Amino acid sequence: MRARQGEAVAAFGQRALAGMGMEQLLAEAVRIVGEELRVDIVNVLRLEPDGDTLTMRAARGWRDEWLGQGIPSVSAGTLAGYVLRSQRPVVAEDLRREVRFRSSRVLERAGVVSAMAAPITGPERPYGVLGAHSLRPHHFSVDETHFLQAVANVIGAAVERDRVETLLRDSEARFRELADTTPALMWTTDPGGRVTFVNQGWLRFTGRTLEEEQGDTFAMSAHPDDRAELREAWRRAMASQEEFRVEYRLRSATGRYRWVLEVGVPRYVGGEFAGFVGTATDIHERRSMEDVLRESEARFRELADSAPVMIWTTDEHGRVTFVNRGWLEFTGTTLQDELGDTWALGVHPDDVPGLLTSWAAALVKAEPWEREYRLRRRDGEYRWVLDQGVPRFEAGSLIGYAGTATEIHERKTMEDRRLRVYEQEHRIAETLQRSMLPEKLPEIEGLELAARYLPAGTETAIGGDWYDAMELPDGRVALVVGDVVGHGLRAAAIMGQLRTASRAYAQVEPSPVEVVARLNRLITGGEDEGMATVLYLVLDRDNGKVTFTSAGHPPPLVLEPDGPRFLEGGRSVPVGAADPAVFRQGEDTIAPGSTLLLYTDGLIERRDVPLERRLAQLAEAAGAAGGELSELCGQLVSAVLGRSEPGDDVALLAVRARPIRSPVLELTLPAEPEALSTLRRRLGRFFHALGAADHEVYELTLTVCEAAGNAIEHAYGPEDASFDVRVTVAAGEVRAEVRDRGRWRDPRGEARGRGLRIIEGLMDEVDLAIEPGGTVVRMRRRLSVSAAA
Amino acid sequence: MTGLADVAVERRGKAVVARLSGEIDMTNASYVGGELVRSVPNEASGLVVDLTETRYLDSAGIELLFELARRLRRRRQELRLVLPPSSPLRRVLLLTEMHSVAPLDDELDSALAHL
Repeated sequence: MRARQGEAVAAFGQRALAGMGMEQLLAEAVRIVGEELRVDIVNVLRLEPDGDTLTMRAARGWRDEWLGQGIPSVSAGTLAGYVLRSQRPVVAEDLRREVRFRSSRVLERAGVVSAMAAPITGPERPYGVLGAHSLRPHHFSVDETHFLQAVANVIGAAVERDRVETLLRDSEARFRELADTTPALMWTTDPGGRVTFVNQGWLRFTGRTLEEEQGDTFAMSAHPDDRAELREAWRRAMASQEEFRVEYRLRSATGRYRWVLEVGVPRYVGGEFAGFVGTATDIHERRSMEDVLRESEARFRELADSAPVMIWTTDEHGRVTFVNRGWLEFTGTTLQDELGDTWALGVHPDDVPGLLTSWAAALVKAEPWEREYRLRRRDGEYRWVLDQGVPRFEAGSLIGYAGTATEIHERKTMEDRRLRVYEQEHRIAETLQRSMLPEKLPEIEGLELAARYLPAGTETAIGGDWYDAMELPDGRVALVVGDVVGHGLRAAAIMGQLRTASRAYAQVEPSPVEVVARLNRLITGGEDEGMATVLYLVLDRDNGKVTFTSAGHPPPLVLEPDGPRFLEGGRSVPVGAADPAVFRQGEDTIAPGSTLLLYTDGLIERRDVPLERRLAQLAEAAGAAGGELSELCGQLVSAVLGRSEPGDDVALLAVRARPIRSPVLELTLPAEPEALSTLRRRLGRFFHALGAADHEVYELTLTVCEAAGNAIEHAYGPEDASFDVRVTVAAGEVRAEVRDRGRWRDPRGEARGRGLRIIEGLMDEVDLAIEPGGTVVRMRRRLSVSAAA
Repeated sequence: MTGLADVAVERRGKAVVARLSGEIDMTNASYVGGELVRSVPNEASGLVVDLTETRYLDSAGIELLFELARRLRRRRQELRLVLPPSSPLRRVLLLTEMHSVAPLDDELDSALAHL
C-alpha cells in the first residue's frame, strides 16, 4: 500500500473506532476509496439475512437513473457473489472478457469496464462487498487491492462493534426494566467504569436524578473518609474484572450518611466484558451497633484498670469481718455498717434471695463461691458486680472466707446489647432478603404468576431462599428458585449475589445448564465460601417446552389436566459444592393449561418422614388445591405446613398460562419478512391458549402467516409499511383477517401460488377483497370439538 | 446458522442425510436451500431431508424443497423426506403434493433403505 493510502486508512480506522454512525462511516469509506483510487464508482453492498439478496448501502458516482434497477443477488453468480464466496479481493480489468462470474446488468448499464471488489467480514456471516469500478480500462495494482481490502476491514470491525453495542443496548434495556422492580439499590457501568444506570431504589435513596448519577460518578456520594478505600477497591476490580465488595458510607437524600455494603459483579455480553453490575445494601444499623460495641469494650478495659479492688473477709459463720477501702468507696458506707450479717446490704432486692441461697450453700460445704448481682453504688445506682470468695482453713477446719468483688456492669450490659445486636442482625437479614425478592412479580404476557414467601419461625435465624421470574431475549421465560445453605446475614448476602448474577446471566445465556455453571464459578471463585441449591427453568410459552437444571434442588411439580407429576431430570450437584462441577439439563413438555410449581425444601421439610413420602404428600395437596393461582399457593402452603410456622424458610413460585379473557388478537406489524417470526409466536400462544390441538395451532398459524407473507411481498414498494392482523374466536370458529394498505401486484411465481393453495386448503372459507384502503384476506375455520368446548 | 434454522449434514453410505431443525420461512429459505444443494456431492445416490425437528415450514420452505427435487432429478439423484406420522407439517406437505416429487417416509431408516 502506498504511504498516502496507508495514512488514509489509518485515519479512517481511528475515526471509525471513535464512534461514527454506520451511515456516516459507509459514506466516509466510499469517499476515501473514490479519492485515493481515482475510480468513477464506489459502492457498499450489504448481504441480507437470507444470504442471497444484496442491498446498496452507500455509493459514490452512482447515477440516479441506475438506481432501482435491482442488484443481482448472490445466486445470480455475479462479481459480488464471487467475492463473497472466495472471501478475498477480486480484480476484473475487463468485465466483458470475464469468465469467472457473470456480468451484471447494472454494471453493464453503468458502463463499467474495470472492476475491483473486496469482501467485508461480519460477526457471524459476511457483511457484504466493497466495490471500486472504473468506466475506462484501469489497471489495479496489488497496492490498490490491499488498500481496498484494508478499508473493507475497517468497515467489518465497525460492524462488529455496532453489533456488540446493539446487543448491549438491548440487554441493558431489559436489565433496567428488571432492576427497577427491585427495591434494592442497583447500578451498572460500561466497560470504562462510567455509571450508565442506577435503579429507582438508588434514586430514592440518594434523592438525585438518573442524569446526575450517570458518568464518572463512582464514589461521588461516598463519605469523604471512605472515598479512598472505595476508589481503590473499584480500581482493583476494574483492572482484574473481578467481583468486589466494600462497606462504606453513602450520602442519603436527607444529607446523612448511611453504611452500605456494595457488591459488584462483572457483566459479559456476547462474551465481552460489558462493565459491572452492583447492588448496595443498607447495613447502617449493624455497622452502628458494631461501633457501639467496640467503644464499650474499650471503655471496660479502661475502667477495669483504674477501678479500686473491693476486698472482704468473713469468719467461719459467714459474718463479715472486714471490707477494704475500695468497697467502702464504692458503696459509700462505713466499715461499721458492713460488719456482721450484712450480706443483703445494698444488694438489689431482686437479687437478694438468689445471693443468700447460694452463699449459704457454699458456706455449708466450705466450697468456693461466686455470684453476679447488682450492688448499690454510693450515688444510688445499682451496678452489676462479680463477687468471688474462697474458703480459708487452719489445721483442717474452716476459719472463714476471703473474697473480691469486681464491677462488671459495662460488660454485663454490653452482653445484653450484643444479644440485641443479634436480634437486629436477624431483622436486617430479613429486610435484606425481602428487598431481594421482587416487589411485585413482573408482568409477563400470556402468563399468570404468583408467589409466597414464608420466613422461618423466630427461633431460627433467617435463611437465604429466593425466587425470580423474567422474560429472556429469545421470548422464553426463565423461572428461578434457590436456597442458600446456612442462615443469617451471610446467607442473605450470598443469596443477593446469586440472584443478581442469575438475572444478568439469563440475559446472555439461553441454556439453563450454562447459567447454573456460571453461578457455580461465581460462588466457588469468590472469597465467601457458600453453597446453594438452585432450580433454573426456562419455559417456552409457545409449545410448553421446559428446559431446566436442578442443582441439588427438589424437582419442580407440574399440575397437568391429568393430574400432578414431578419434572425429573437435570439433577446435578448444588452450586458451590465443587469446582469444576458437571451440571445436567432436563427437558420436558408440559400440557397446555398446566400450572408449574417451583419451591424450596422448607415446604417439604419434615425430618421424621422420608423424602419420597413428603414429595407424594406435596403432589397430593397440590392436586387437591385449585382455583385462582394465588389462592392455590395459599391452600398448598396451609395443607402442607398446617398451622405451624415452618422450620425453615419457604419460597413458592407458581406459574400458569393465562386463560384468554377476550378471545381477540390484534396486531400491527412492519411489512418486513422479519416480522413473520414475531407473528408466528403471538399466534401460536393465542391458539394454544384456546386449547386448540397441536396440528390446528400449526395450520392456523401457517395460514395467517401465508396471508401476511403475501402482504409483505406484494403489497408495497420498498418503503416502510405495515399490515394488521385480527383474529377472533366465537362459537367454535376462528376468523382471521390480514389487512394491508397497498395493492397486491399479481402473485408471481409458483411459490406464491402454493401459498394461496395452502391458505385455501387449510381454511374452511377464504375471501380476498380489494378495498379502497388496501387488500384484505378474510379466513374462517371451525375448531375441533375439544378446542371449541 | 441463520438463528431460526439449522442444517446438519451427514454421509450415510452413498446417501446424504440433512437434518433440518428449527423454523424455515421467507427470511431464510434461500439460505437453507443453498446449504442443502451444496451438501450433495455428485457421486451421492440421493439426499434424505429429515424434517423430524422442523418446527415450521411455510410456502417459501416448500418451494425450496420443490426446487431441490428439480435440481437433484436433473442430476439423477433422488430426494426423500422423513416426517414422523404425528408431525403437524404433514397435512401441508400433502396439500401441496410434495410427495409427487419427494416421497415421504416415517423414519430415517426406511428412507435410507429406498435409496
